[in-house]
Amino acid sequence: MVERADAPYGPIGLAWAGLRYCYPLLLVVVAWELVARGGLVRPLFLPTVTAVLEQFWILLVEGEIVGPLTVSLYRAFAGLMLAVVFGVFIGLLMARSKWAKWALDPLVSFAFPAPKIAFVPIFILWFGIDHLSKILLVAFTCIFPMIVVTYHGAVAVSRTVIWSAEAMGTPESKMLYRVIFPATKPHIFSGVRVTVPVALIIAFTAEMIAGGGGVGAALMFAQRFFQTPTVFVYILIMLATGLILDRVLLRLRHWLIPWHDEWA
Amino acid sequence: MISICVKHLNKRYRARDGDVAALADVDIDVTEGEFVTIVGPSGCGKSTLLYILGGFIAADGGIIEINGKAVTGPGVDRGVVFQEYALFPWLTVAQNIRYGLEMSRAPRQQCEETVERLVRTIGLQGFEHRFPRELSGGMKQRVAIARTLAYDPKILLLDEPFGALDAQTREVMQDELLRLWQATRKTVMMVTHDVNEAVYLSERVLVMSQRPGRIVQEFKVTIDRTCEREVTVLNENFNQLRNKVWLAVRRQSGARSV
Amino acid sequence: MKVMSVALRTWLRSGPRSVSLRAAWHYLPIAIVLLAWQLVVDFDLVDRAFLPSFGETLSALWEMSRNGEIGFNLLVSIYRAFAGLAMGSIIGVAIGLAMATSRRADEFFGPLVATTYSLPKSSLVPLFILWFGIGDVTSIVSVLLACLLPVIVSTYHGVQSVPPVIVWSARAMGTPHHLILWRILLPSSLLSIFTGVRIALGFCFVLTISVEMIAAKTGIGKLIFLYGENGAYAYMFGGLLAIVVIAYAADRALLAAMNYLLRWDDSIHAAHVGG
Repeated sequence: MVERADAPYGPIGLAWAGLRYCYPLLLVVVAWELVARGGLVRPLFLPTVTAVLEQFWILLVEGEIVGPLTVSLYRAFAGLMLAVVFGVFIGLLMARSKWAKWALDPLVSFAFPAPKIAFVPIFILWFGIDHLSKILLVAFTCIFPMIVVTYHGAVAVSRTVIWSAEAMGTPESKMLYRVIFPATKPHIFSGVRVTVPVALIIAFTAEMIAGGGGVGAALMFAQRFFQTPTVFVYILIMLATGLILDRVLLRLRHWLIPWHDEWA
Repeated sequence: MISICVKHLNKRYRARDGDVAALADVDIDVTEGEFVTIVGPSGCGKSTLLYILGGFIAADGGIIEINGKAVTGPGVDRGVVFQEYALFPWLTVAQNIRYGLEMSRAPRQQCEETVERLVRTIGLQGFEHRFPRELSGGMKQRVAIARTLAYDPKILLLDEPFGALDAQTREVMQDELLRLWQATRKTVMMVTHDVNEAVYLSERVLVMSQRPGRIVQEFKVTIDRTCEREVTVLNENFNQLRNKVWLAVRRQSGARSV
Repeated sequence: MKVMSVALRTWLRSGPRSVSLRAAWHYLPIAIVLLAWQLVVDFDLVDRAFLPSFGETLSALWEMSRNGEIGFNLLVSIYRAFAGLAMGSIIGVAIGLAMATSRRADEFFGPLVATTYSLPKSSLVPLFILWFGIGDVTSIVSVLLACLLPVIVSTYHGVQSVPPVIVWSARAMGTPHHLILWRILLPSSLLSIFTGVRIALGFCFVLTISVEMIAAKTGIGKLIFLYGENGAYAYMFGGLLAIVVIAYAADRALLAAMNYLLRWDDSIHAAHVGG
């Protein structure tokens, strides 16, 4: 958010700029370490940074990081893919067909603000405790923002673009696929970018509530046995996962939609 | 009495590969009650000059004095009207007009009277409680002018005030502005790209060069403004002068004659 | 005959004209879905053990409201959700304003916001349970943190988008520095801020339910979870229905408030799907 136009370049300059940017984070870490070491709080409540890092290493070596993380990510992504595919389709449909819009609009309106995490018990009942229930819950939660975003993007396609396409002989059957969908891609993409963290959250939270493997379940397990450093490790894992995925998505954007001008 | 005094004004912008001079050595004197317009090719810096006079951006060199005092920031002595109207969209017409008076803590009674008078002057009775989004471009610009007049600044700075309006509305607004100026005799400095407008309204037209902008020519306009628009515009003197100014600007923009 | 079919076609195309009829038409698909739900169970297309009928759900809900169970738990959850939302929003607006107007605030909070944006706040719940125990505090703190970020970001974005000429005009008309924030920047960014609050509204329910399902003694999340565990599915569905309706109503209420407070704004008057 803050840019220094006159920052010195070169590796030292960049490192210094990076440091300047991160100083609040470093402040937090240092404060954390001091408070934990100073004995102001019991290690049960706040382990030292070094204890957390040590525990991270132990868990990593034991396979307790990669394993659960893979499970959680698999569920989140499978669910997200389902949500994107069906959500985009439904959104485009609603934009082009008045009847589709009439039929689905109130359903989407109700589903959108609803806390879909409350459906965890139902999904566990119907689909068991393992992958399927989590994947479907993720899909169920993420489909609605995708529908809304796609709908708005499709509806916003300038009508002169559509008229030009019609004038050049585009039949209705091809209109959706060759004109509206490509024009809506930037909106879809920004929708996906916003929905990825949602997918992660749902996967993690469902695992915390119902167990059945994954980082969320591991986190709850550690908490039940008061293994606070482990709790911190998993929290930081979740944080890192979210951050890295966001970066990856930004890179992907340049690759997938190079023709669209940047927006934040 | 000199209202606006500009001497050797300089302004540079920092670009990625060095500095770009926007204004170089601008000299202008405006006497009290005068109507002066600055014209020039696109991007010559005339709006920048106005923003500096308004106190919104700082100059890099030179003297800028308003009524003998150096400009240090925006102030209620200089009313500004922007091309984009810059009305406060969350306030009604009446609230917008009243704003400047509220800032100067004028007594309630005076506020009400002034607002009522100005609403009548700009012909928007019945629209006092409308929001800007409900008004047309011309109406918005009238409100913008009215709210500037409300707190009675001695000087008016107008940045392409009618640029966003269609041709007919523009003519109507120009006549209104002329009428207001003749009634109040404020010092007015206007910036526009419309040469017709410049000659129609002002007593002096200054031509600015291409970037870096400096004043290169000055025209004194001595047409009779007491008659109707049709008479003025179809007048031979007016047209000759307008053509001279137009040619001067065109030369500055570097366009080659066929 | 011909006149009638033309009239029918026009009516079908443009929809009914009276307001209440139009509302009924708008919500008809929901009625159809509920009817389908009832029929699917009645005709044994789906095992009753997995899906209680709509009728059974309603009677369970009725019973829970008669003995005050649903009322009490809903109130507890709403209290937690809204307390966190209110505090998170106020602090969020304050931080967003600070970041947009002060370089130092931006340099301090910016990296913190960018980093914690990707952290699922529900991951902090086990930690909060450890720190604050099982109760209101854990819920409210979780909700507060979840609501903080969208409000900060949208406030920041809103203030940044205020056109400079608006601020310039205000200053030219003699607005003292300390009033610029309150009388110019804040009203100008109100739409953005409200958009962030609307997102936060969605989050506040999710976090409250999440916390209650993970570990709590009271609350609608706990109720749903408990009935689910004990196999009383009609009651579980009843609780679910209740919270879905509440969340919808809250969203509509916020939208209505927005439409009133922002009636001067140009861009708010657009038709939308999903609210």
